[in-house]
Amino acid sequence: MSGSLFEQDRKTAVRNAAEKRFRAYGLTAIILALLALVWLLISILGNGLPAFRQTMMTFPVTLDAAVLDKSGNRTPEELAKVTTIAYGKVLATSLTAELAARGIDIGALQPKDIGSLISEESSAQLRNKVLADPALIGTVIPFTVLATGRIDGYFKGRVTMASAALDKNTSPEKLVLADKMKDAGILAMRFNTGFFFLPDASDKRPEAAGLGVAIIGSAYMMLIVLLLTLPIGVAASVYLQEFAPKNWFTDLIEVNIANLAAVPSIVYGILGLSFFINFAGLPRSAPIVGGLVLVLMTLPRIIIPTRAALQAVPPSIRDAALGVGASKLQTVFHHVLPLAMPGVLTGTIIGLAQALGETAPLLLIGMVAFVKDFPSAPPQGFFDPASALPVQIFNWTTRGDPGFVERASGAIIVLLVFLVIMNAGAIALRSRFERRW
Amino acid sequence: MQLGPLLLLLVILTVFAYIAGRARAISLAGGDSRKLHSLPAFYGRAAAIAAAVPALILIVVWLIVQGPMLESRAMALLDPADITAERSIEAVSADVHRMTGGLNAILRSGQTPSTDVATLTGQLKTHNVTLQGAPTASMIAAATALEVGQHRSRVWLSLLTALVALAGFALAWRQITPEYRARNATERFSMALLIGCSLIAVLTTLGIIASLLFETIHFFQLYPWQKFFFSTTWNPQFGGGSDLGILPLVWGTLYISTIALVVAVPIGLFSAIYLSEYAGSRMRAVVKPAIEILAGIPTIVYGLFALITVGPLLRDWIAQPMGFGNSSTSVATAGLVMGIMVIPFVSSLSDDIINAVPQSLRDGSLAIGATPSETVRQVVIPAALPGIVGAVLLAASRAIGETMIVVLGAGASAKLSLNPFEAMTTITVKIVSQLTGDTEFASPETLVAFALGLTLFCFTLALNVLAQIIVRRYREQYE
Amino acid sequence: MMKDVRLERDVQTTTAKIEARNVQVYYGQNHALKDVDVDILDKTVTAFIGPSGCGKSTFLRCLNRMNDTVASARVEGSIKIDGEDIYDARVDPVQLRAKVGMVFQKPNPFPKSIYDNVAYGPKIHGMTRNKAELDAVVEACLRKAALWNEVKDRLLSPGTGLSGGQQQRLCIARAIATSPEVLLMDEPCSALDPIATAQVEELIDELRSQFSVVIVTHSMQQAARVSQKTAFFHLGYLVEYGETGAIFTNPKDPRTESYITGRIG
Repeated sequence: MSGSLFEQDRKTAVRNAAEKRFRAYGLTAIILALLALVWLLISILGNGLPAFRQTMMTFPVTLDAAVLDKSGNRTPEELAKVTTIAYGKVLATSLTAELAARGIDIGALQPKDIGSLISEESSAQLRNKVLADPALIGTVIPFTVLATGRIDGYFKGRVTMASAALDKNTSPEKLVLADKMKDAGILAMRFNTGFFFLPDASDKRPEAAGLGVAIIGSAYMMLIVLLLTLPIGVAASVYLQEFAPKNWFTDLIEVNIANLAAVPSIVYGILGLSFFINFAGLPRSAPIVGGLVLVLMTLPRIIIPTRAALQAVPPSIRDAALGVGASKLQTVFHHVLPLAMPGVLTGTIIGLAQALGETAPLLLIGMVAFVKDFPSAPPQGFFDPASALPVQIFNWTTRGDPGFVERASGAIIVLLVFLVIMNAGAIALRSRFERRW
Repeated sequence: MQLGPLLLLLVILTVFAYIAGRARAISLAGGDSRKLHSLPAFYGRAAAIAAAVPALILIVVWLIVQGPMLESRAMALLDPADITAERSIEAVSADVHRMTGGLNAILRSGQTPSTDVATLTGQLKTHNVTLQGAPTASMIAAATALEVGQHRSRVWLSLLTALVALAGFALAWRQITPEYRARNATERFSMALLIGCSLIAVLTTLGIIASLLFETIHFFQLYPWQKFFFSTTWNPQFGGGSDLGILPLVWGTLYISTIALVVAVPIGLFSAIYLSEYAGSRMRAVVKPAIEILAGIPTIVYGLFALITVGPLLRDWIAQPMGFGNSSTSVATAGLVMGIMVIPFVSSLSDDIINAVPQSLRDGSLAIGATPSETVRQVVIPAALPGIVGAVLLAASRAIGETMIVVLGAGASAKLSLNPFEAMTTITVKIVSQLTGDTEFASPETLVAFALGLTLFCFTLALNVLAQIIVRRYREQYE
Repeated sequence: MMKDVRLERDVQTTTAKIEARNVQVYYGQNHALKDVDVDILDKTVTAFIGPSGCGKSTFLRCLNRMNDTVASARVEGSIKIDGEDIYDARVDPVQLRAKVGMVFQKPNPFPKSIYDNVAYGPKIHGMTRNKAELDAVVEACLRKAALWNEVKDRLLSPGTGLSGGQQQRLCIARAIATSPEVLLMDEPCSALDPIATAQVEELIDELRSQFSVVIVTHSMQQAARVSQKTAFFHLGYLVEYGETGAIFTNPKDPRTESYITGRIG
């Protein structure tokens, strides 16, 4: 090739153009991947952040003894006979009175319609309050109620005057009244602590649905996973890494573990259904079953990084311990394992984070059920029916009321926050304590 | 006694054995623990292990055997006439079990169970036990036999456990001398525990295969396998006469996974190439973890994203205007979202593989005057190809086994269509729907889920093994 | 004393192919190569010798701008090939490297067939018009690399399946396939056995009739065997440059003499 180096010949120019295009493809690919991530997060945040604020109404409630305790004896059995519908009427009456007292014009609406602005869940809450403290009957107490899903939707933009005209659950007049109540200070949007502490609510009451049971269920399962996978996973990894002879049997175990880590999670659900529920007779939808299924699923995912952490400890440490006369077991447990601990814990936390987000296997062991009662304290609580965060999200997604879409997205935000904390914790642990040999 | 207190007793016996064993060793050495072969604690541990382990094994075996044995004896007492078309054997046996629990509660509250059916039902009701149907005489006999059997079994178990524990302790006691190698003995036990934990992996695999195989065989006894594998209709009916062909489900699965790979492989591969060949270390440090985040997001989140954002978007902007359909759940929706989820699998694995190609090859190509892109295309990628193929296979396996994205994003109708904007369902969706539906467990409509599960398991296993073989052969080239 | 073959070989030409003036190379803060001034002659074998880490490989890699691939490297000064500064902004390294070929220390054939290894350069530079021409180029280069007879029956088998010496000759064939004018060789025989080394050294001697060859070597004996000019590097400086015979029998600089006699290195 002769010719001046200062002149780019044609072929090289073509190749350089191809080079630029190739680089552009690479950069485009990265931008697309990151855009997808951003799109996902913005969509979730946009749909879910409103779940953390809830429309509530506060007004004085007259606990009319004539309605709530006709006999006047205040006996628990008598009081228990009064249904939530009666309490609902009490609330409606009190609210109507308050509106009249404040001079708010209710227009064409009837008192019955006023009652329909209040969530049915609040009637139940009032009833529980009175049954717990019957002395309240006959007094006037300030009480905060939840507005119904449609009113809440109005203030969050889901429901408009136009859609209200077509909706059988609400009407434009009710929305107008809600606006007036907001101006008068009776109605306000407040931080939704109920989202975290209330249990699930029925289909028609998205305003009252909360993650209380799901969070406890997930917490129980994570406890079981942690208590079982850490010792078993470490024990298995120690054996495979430090003691196992190189024969066909060890190969079999290692191949098994590699394959189990890649088996679809739904297969573990089938295993859980067959073995833990049908064969061993454990109760459906219980955290113990969910926990055990997640343990089996997480074990291979913990063994792999634990083995890597053990392998990273240099042989010189083992040689030093053996040289002083420690047995192999003592060498491993007194010297190697403590040094590998940061890596082991990091792998465990990441495995736990993956287990927290798993849904499919939990569906198969019966966790789709609607659970309203909180499970009791462990160990009995492990056998009570419960839900789990991802399953609750799935459950809410399949419900018709659009208020539940917001709830599901809000629950996702809660789940993601937990995951971020766990992963950040794992990374912090790794960077602070991991040694570079 | 009940299981809880029994275990507590065992724990107390074990602690006692530890203390006694340790003290014995020290006393035999005349108070000077240096004369002992092992540290005193090991003698204690050896004694404790000898007391606890045989007893625990006894309890576990006993409990496993007790259930079926007592059950078969009790059910033998049932009058065959009690089992009719309306009351199947499962319903009757469930009632018998409930009665047994009720009898237990009645006895514990100090009352005597009545022999009269009506009074007995009333007694059961006060202890919150309601039966599906009226109890017959043979059922009462069976329940009584079961209750008595359980009670006796518990008594025997408690006695034997205490006996075995004490025997074990006594044996260990005799063995304790200053020369006894207690540490070695306890370490042998520890090793056995370690090996046991490793075997859990094998046991899990066996468990998966057994649970799938068992019920699949059961299913094929109720439904012809030829129809399952070759029929192109999927139409389960509540009362029977269902069509349960797997082909539409396989089609949906493969179609969605293909779209997912079409999205993920170019984006993932080119990202990996750019990050390893062109990007500076600062860009790598930021972008690589960012892409990994996509892998850490739970699939339910992707599912919701598909359902409420991507699905309606595709429907409103592409499917409806172009007349392809008006479903927001579709193959395209699920495929696109699944593709996004799978990007980090492809990009991470490819990145590792590309980095493993030796720098000397790149230098050789650059020194001849090739541009970096020519080097990548003609030298690096061909060298890394087996590894990349392995990565793509693993990504495919992940996509095929995915559940939540398709449950929410792909819909439930099983069909064999080419239109990607139609709803088409997959194997995993049907496993979930058939196992969480209302059909009876022993019916083919429910059991088909196990056959589907076995098919899925075998297929993903084959893909994973193939991927591992390819990657291993590739590694040999460079080692 | 061994027969001094060096004195029988005379230098054929005095034209400077490569002119380096005041070359400095920095790896980050480390000043690895300092104040190098040298003229490399055409149709000559020039040897760079010196102890480990003295900068000879660094300077070699400057001549085909391979240092560009190292992120922390910075080159100052001027290096001209045929009168054109190769670090000029107008110069495309891709074109430069077609003109200046390189053979590396450890043979690095591509995991392709023998044919494709040699054909790679001509193909990407678009130097041939059809397959027949490409075949001819491949055969000619393999012949020049003294490999043709050994591989002519298995051109499609993988290049990695050859022995070490054959692989290195394949790499040489690959490097000369782009018809370069300069051939850089970075310790080409250090990974080879003595027989393969002898074959490669014979090859180098034949190549010098067509190319300007620059060879970095750890072995003074090899430098004495194959080169006409020798440059001695030490601690980043070019200490002495001259006729090979003169450097080895009558070095001017005391550092050169210390190295030659084995007192340093």
